[in-house]
Amino acid sequence: MRETLRTLSWSTWLGWQIESNWADLRLFVLYLIVKPVCGSMMLVCMFYAAKYATGSRVPVEYLPYIFVSNACYGLVGMVMFGMSNVVISDRESYRMLKYVFISPAQFQAYFVGRGLARAAEGFMGAVITISTGLLIPDIRAAVNLESFDPGWLAVFLLLGSVMLWACGMMLASAVLNMSRSGQFLSEGIAGVVYFLSGVVFPISALPTALQYVGLSLPTTYWLEGMRRAITGRAPANSPLAQSPLAKWETGELALMLLATTVALVAVSQLFYRYSLRKAWRNGKIEEATGM
Amino acid sequence: MPPALDLFWKAMMARTWPRVAWMFRHRTWLIQETLLPMLSVIALANVYRWMQAPVEYVGIVILGAAMTAFWLNVLWSLGAHLYWERDSGNLELYILCPAPMMGILAGMALGGLTMTVVRATAIVLTGVVLFDVPLNPSSWWLLGSIFGLTMIALYGLGMMFASVFLLFGREAWHTVNLLQEPVYLMTGMNFPLTALEKMTHWAIPAAALLIPLTAGMDAMRQVLFRSEGFLDLWYEVPLLAVMSVAFILLAKRFLDVLERKAKEEGKLTVKWQ
Repeated sequence: MRETLRTLSWSTWLGWQIESNWADLRLFVLYLIVKPVCGSMMLVCMFYAAKYATGSRVPVEYLPYIFVSNACYGLVGMVMFGMSNVVISDRESYRMLKYVFISPAQFQAYFVGRGLARAAEGFMGAVITISTGLLIPDIRAAVNLESFDPGWLAVFLLLGSVMLWACGMMLASAVLNMSRSGQFLSEGIAGVVYFLSGVVFPISALPTALQYVGLSLPTTYWLEGMRRAITGRAPANSPLAQSPLAKWETGELALMLLATTVALVAVSQLFYRYSLRKAWRNGKIEEATGM
Repeated sequence: MPPALDLFWKAMMARTWPRVAWMFRHRTWLIQETLLPMLSVIALANVYRWMQAPVEYVGIVILGAAMTAFWLNVLWSLGAHLYWERDSGNLELYILCPAPMMGILAGMALGGLTMTVVRATAIVLTGVVLFDVPLNPSSWWLLGSIFGLTMIALYGLGMMFASVFLLFGREAWHTVNLLQEPVYLMTGMNFPLTALEKMTHWAIPAAALLIPLTAGMDAMRQVLFRSEGFLDLWYEVPLLAVMSVAFILLAKRFLDVLERKAKEEGKLTVKWQ
């Protein structure tokens, strides 16, 4: 356990250095702010463009929905992409993966530590984005601040961290046995989550068959839980309340997230062991493809 | 053909070749480059559908996604590429050989453009089929000319980036990352520029016109959807033409200056920085 914690702390430190020491602090802070805020502001612009075009028929509660969802989704992208990208950058660019593998460091803890550094970056990005959103009068007016629930937020953040770790480990494990195409996998998975988890529109807008796929993804429950903890439930007369999850109690959401996360962790651990053994046998841990 | 031009042509074709050959040797890219990006495009198109915006707005998302493919290609496969080439040890070979660097960059641009055209076409076709976006431009010739000018200006800008990135270490990766979301926002990638003007101030979209994507997309939308643009079409087309020439000339100038600077600072062979 001590070895694992030591690996975890050192790899987190290493990850943070890689992420942050390329620029001075001011530029890095600007980088942390500008990227996620601009991503969310683009959705705000889309909202207003549609509002102008439809003569204000767009429900106002949709604005905080997309804003908060997108901010939380940034964390999904950061951790999942971050953990799988460790394999590519350490193997192909820095050529250090083989040395980490043969060292006494815990290989999985190394990935988790690097993912934690990205998670810290993503978490700061999400907090900054949501805080910036509150500066926009329409978002501030639509967010029901009395509904903010720090208890549920902590629960969903905790469960979400475990879920993201499991997802990141699955991606990193898959990338261990891939070469050039590995970095596109995380882009593809991120696209699937973005499309099916109700990030920018309620899953009721999907065809019925795809709604079931969306409901089988833990990210769907996590995002719904995060939205509820931060902005409260959508009003009963809102089109957002047509979502299949709208009738669920928050506790039920958390339980479902727990159940899907437990399943995901079990699968990710089995997949990690299988992939690591396969990569080791096929010489993939030290294979550099010049990419 | 004069020897200098002949060498330029050969260097350009030689650097185009690996990018085009890769398309046929590594076919999984078809899934990576077409199917996977479509998911986020469909998600964004669904945002407008859910808000019951006019169908042209879905068209804006589809056009934006196609143009995003070119922007990403300019950033990653052209702008930051000399940085990757340095890491893989090719850059010193480029400098050593008699081929002109502008020819090599033009080859990278041409190869990247060929590959990205496939991705963009897939995005447009899927968008049109899935979302029934009407394709009824006022003039196909005008649309083609605007697209061509936008590409020249865009890849000229990419060649400029490539020379600037010669001096970069790891910040190249982060700079490229930083040039995504803010540029999507400023250029009105997924919404009309007039909405940005209404929300903020005319000076913001006006400043964004210095990015070829902004003028190119605004002009293409006016032709494709016969909608009102931020600036009249006949101002945007000459602006694109001026940017095309200016960026290529600047790229040549930057390359000469920065290659020399990189040599002086010993940055041409530094790896894993």
